[in-house]
Amino acid sequence: MRAPAPGVPLVELRGVTKAYREGDAERVVLNGVDAAIHRGELCVLIGRSGSGKSTLLNLIGGIDVPTAGEIVVDGLPLAGTSEAARTLFRRHHVGFVFQFFNLIPTLTVEENLRLPLELNGRRRESARARARALLAEVGLAGRGATFPERLSGGEQQRVAVARALVHEPLLVLADEPTGNLDLDTGRQVLELLDRLTRRSGRTMVMATHSPEVVGLADRIFRLQDGRLVEVGESVAG
Amino acid sequence: MTLLRASVRHLVRHPWQAGLSVLGIALGVAVVVSVDLASASARRAFGLAAEGVTGRATHQVVGGPAGLDERVVPQLAREIGVHPLAPVVEAWVGVEGAPGRTLQLLGVDPFSEAPFRPYLGRGAGTGTRVLGTFVTEPGAVLLSRETAAELRVGISGTLVLRAAGRTHPVRVVGLIEPDDARSRQALRGLVVADLATAQELLDRPGRLSHVDLVVPAGAGGERLLARVRAALPPGAEVVPAAARSEFVGELTRAFDVNLTALSFLALLVGLFLAYNTMTFSVVQRRATIGMLRALGVTRAEIVAAVLAEALVLGLVATSLGLVLGVALAGGLVRLVTRTINDLYFVVVVRELTLSPAVLAKGAALGIGATLLAAIVPAAEASAAPPGAAIQRVVLEARARRAAPRAALAGLAMLATGALLVGVAGRSLVWSYAGLFAIVLGAALLTPLAMVGAAWAVAPPLGWLLGLPGRMAARGVVARLSRTGVAVAALMVAVAATVGVGLMIRSFRATVVRWLETSLVADVYVSAPTLRGGRGGESTLDPAVIARVRAAPGVEAVGTYRGVRVTSPFGPTQLVALGIGPRSYRQFRFLAGSGETVWPAFQDGGAAIVSEPYAYRHGLAVGSALRLRTDRGERAFPVAGVFADYGSDQGVVMVSRRTYEANWDDRGVSSLGLVLAPGADPEATVAALRVRSGGDQDLLIRSNRALREASLEIFDRTFAITAVLRVLATAVAVIGVLSALMALQLERARELGVLRVQGFTPREVWRLVLAETGLLGGIAGVLAVPVGIGLALVLIHVINRRAFGWSIETTLPGEVLLQAVGLAIVAALLAGAYPAWRMARTPPAPALREE
Repeated sequence: MRAPAPGVPLVELRGVTKAYREGDAERVVLNGVDAAIHRGELCVLIGRSGSGKSTLLNLIGGIDVPTAGEIVVDGLPLAGTSEAARTLFRRHHVGFVFQFFNLIPTLTVEENLRLPLELNGRRRESARARARALLAEVGLAGRGATFPERLSGGEQQRVAVARALVHEPLLVLADEPTGNLDLDTGRQVLELLDRLTRRSGRTMVMATHSPEVVGLADRIFRLQDGRLVEVGESVAG
Repeated sequence: MTLLRASVRHLVRHPWQAGLSVLGIALGVAVVVSVDLASASARRAFGLAAEGVTGRATHQVVGGPAGLDERVVPQLAREIGVHPLAPVVEAWVGVEGAPGRTLQLLGVDPFSEAPFRPYLGRGAGTGTRVLGTFVTEPGAVLLSRETAAELRVGISGTLVLRAAGRTHPVRVVGLIEPDDARSRQALRGLVVADLATAQELLDRPGRLSHVDLVVPAGAGGERLLARVRAALPPGAEVVPAAARSEFVGELTRAFDVNLTALSFLALLVGLFLAYNTMTFSVVQRRATIGMLRALGVTRAEIVAAVLAEALVLGLVATSLGLVLGVALAGGLVRLVTRTINDLYFVVVVRELTLSPAVLAKGAALGIGATLLAAIVPAAEASAAPPGAAIQRVVLEARARRAAPRAALAGLAMLATGALLVGVAGRSLVWSYAGLFAIVLGAALLTPLAMVGAAWAVAPPLGWLLGLPGRMAARGVVARLSRTGVAVAALMVAVAATVGVGLMIRSFRATVVRWLETSLVADVYVSAPTLRGGRGGESTLDPAVIARVRAAPGVEAVGTYRGVRVTSPFGPTQLVALGIGPRSYRQFRFLAGSGETVWPAFQDGGAAIVSEPYAYRHGLAVGSALRLRTDRGERAFPVAGVFADYGSDQGVVMVSRRTYEANWDDRGVSSLGLVLAPGADPEATVAALRVRSGGDQDLLIRSNRALREASLEIFDRTFAITAVLRVLATAVAVIGVLSALMALQLERARELGVLRVQGFTPREVWRLVLAETGLLGGIAGVLAVPVGIGLALVLIHVINRRAFGWSIETTLPGEVLLQAVGLAIVAALLAGAYPAWRMARTPPAPALREE
């Protein structure tokens, strides 16, 4: 287990509530969630389907905004920030890995990796070199010119992992990254994700059902009835 | 049923896509139905008017330009024993105080009418006393009750009629009320007078328009006709009463065919649209279809479900199209009527005839076109493997592989089209079939052209817009299965716009040049006619002519007499020209030269014919043209063929001397005045207006004013074409909106991912608009050569075959630029909503979808 990270947390959640309207009724998915995540930590979110794991990740990533409460990431209060500012925040500081890969089908594998770099203003040649290096690292050297749909699920998710890290974000958010993969492939992807984030000292929050992941986590949170409860620390580390 | 429910629910869940497709097909159906209804209404109006006049007559004795001498009636009755027979005088007259309102004046002998037009004897005030007034009182007329109500005049009320520039007050002495509805309709617009009154009103003393006969069928009838023919004076002949309606049908045939073809163009674009929607709908559901197949749904059931969905779409669109069509026809019928009045004959269409046959045809076309469009997508859907849905990438790869094959088929189609156009002879229908084959061929070439274009523009677009630019170029090809059809549909519509636009511009430029050379006199004087174009059958008062000749500043006067005579080709527009050598330059001869033509024309009794007349009847210099004259049928040698755009039926011209030698008519329809050097045409026009003041209204126009009026008629003639062009374009724009919008909305998830990656709303705008703009640009650029090709076929093949005109092609740059602009703007417009929506929507919902 890691020692508690010193200083200001990277992510702070204070009384975060998220509710959706369903017809006339209001469904509260998150109800007064508090948490603090420090730099370099690998936190795992567990909970039943529909418990609000994806919603919480979307809120931390600035994709969505809370109904009430505060979310501060790297000193930026996301709830009160404009959509444009949140977009730029995501562009510079967040990497996402989704269950369904979500690669851009009209871009080749290498171009999918170059996308975040070019959005961050990296020059084309440098972006290309960085993308190729990372592709080699995820075991897909030579597949850069291929379109995503030509790859297997595991390969697509490896590209997605590489894409999430290629621009060296502060925070990696992974939403069920193994949920669409078989056991072995899922394990390989997890190892890759763990290796790459830990090596670069990134912070990662991962929503999962997979017991495998729990073993890798620094901290484990459970979402239940809209509340976030820290259930303990992993044996890893 | 469950399958159909699932299909219909899919349409309901994609309301934009379904709604725009419905609107597109509905507009296509509406255009076809409205054109059909407008033409049918005009034909029916003419038929009813002819019926009102013709009544039960089977044959008519007709004369030359000056009509028949009324002495022919006792001769036929007493010497030949023809019975029944009825002398008639008829003409179109205007109504003072009711602008645009025309009535057909029918002069009859009430004592001969019963076997012909029995309805004339029914109604209020048609008893013996009124009959006495009708016959004895000058200016007494009868009207149908409905016409009287429309004109707000009752018994003993006064109407002021206008004929050949003169006004005549008449008194309504009775109202006719036929028993049956059809006769009532036939009588609307008829004003009935005693023969003598009508002759006086029309200034035709002692002359008749025709004598009606009822000839029994069979050998007895034939013998009677032979006896009548033998007894007639040389200029007169017997024709079947139906010949008039047949001639009218022939007269407007080319006009009708062209309108119908243009309306079919709108439907063709609608068909593309339906195809696009159905393909799209199938592609969107490929996973569901795969799942259904896994559940045991057969291929045939999938095909049936897709076709049933198309049927629902077609039914909704067609119903809407029929309603829109009827509404549109109300406006279109005015344009059709105006064109017919300008170019062919006087017709007054008061109401739209809702012909069930036309509506049924429209419904069949709409539903049929939608089903036809769904056949290929249905087959594609049934080919989906059960279980695992076909991968999108496989589908697109297949589309890209199919592009060269489609292009080959397109080339074959182009060749077939060219062949059809070449070998169609004079058949307008085959020419149009060729034209449509060319359009389809070009559409099939589009996907391959798109692949090439996207490859070519990717580097500059990437340089200009960065990553979004490169992604846009890539997207065009990556989604070829969908973009291909959308771009082809837009290309077809824009090409049609370019083709028709270039045709009209070329035609107009040719007419402008023709008017510059053909209108050589400084001032033109004529009596007003009810027809807008070269009617010219009104007669100028000889006193007016004398006053004009003597006017100061008038150096030379040319005379023009337009009449209709019969020939073996049917009724022929004949012009008697009394002009001197100074006016010869108004003629540009396409066959024969001035040196040989003019001596033969002036002194040798030869005729010159206009290009359409020569083309229609296969005449050339040296041919003998037979015309019925007042001295019997005579042959006139053709000395020359001249360029003329005044009439698509063509015109024959003879010298005034030749005319007077062969016809008894001495009337003059209009004058062309050559002014002395230095005389101001506008001042002369003003002076002539004062000087010629009398009881005849005159149209006195300077060369410039006449030229402007002629061009106005030209523009009016093409107004309907322009309307149809706009409608076809509207269908296309809606189609493209629907296709491209659906294409972009389908990318919601992809765009959502891009937003998560940090694409700003502005970058999403840039990406979406770059892609749709690129699609529009490709369609626009491809539409230019295709549009020019269409224009060339329209100008040199269709127009020539329909009207016999040779037109010089002009390619104004702005028409071509407009086309590209139109395509790009339509496409950008289509991208605007999805771009706005995607830029505005937070990415979370987009990611939650699926």
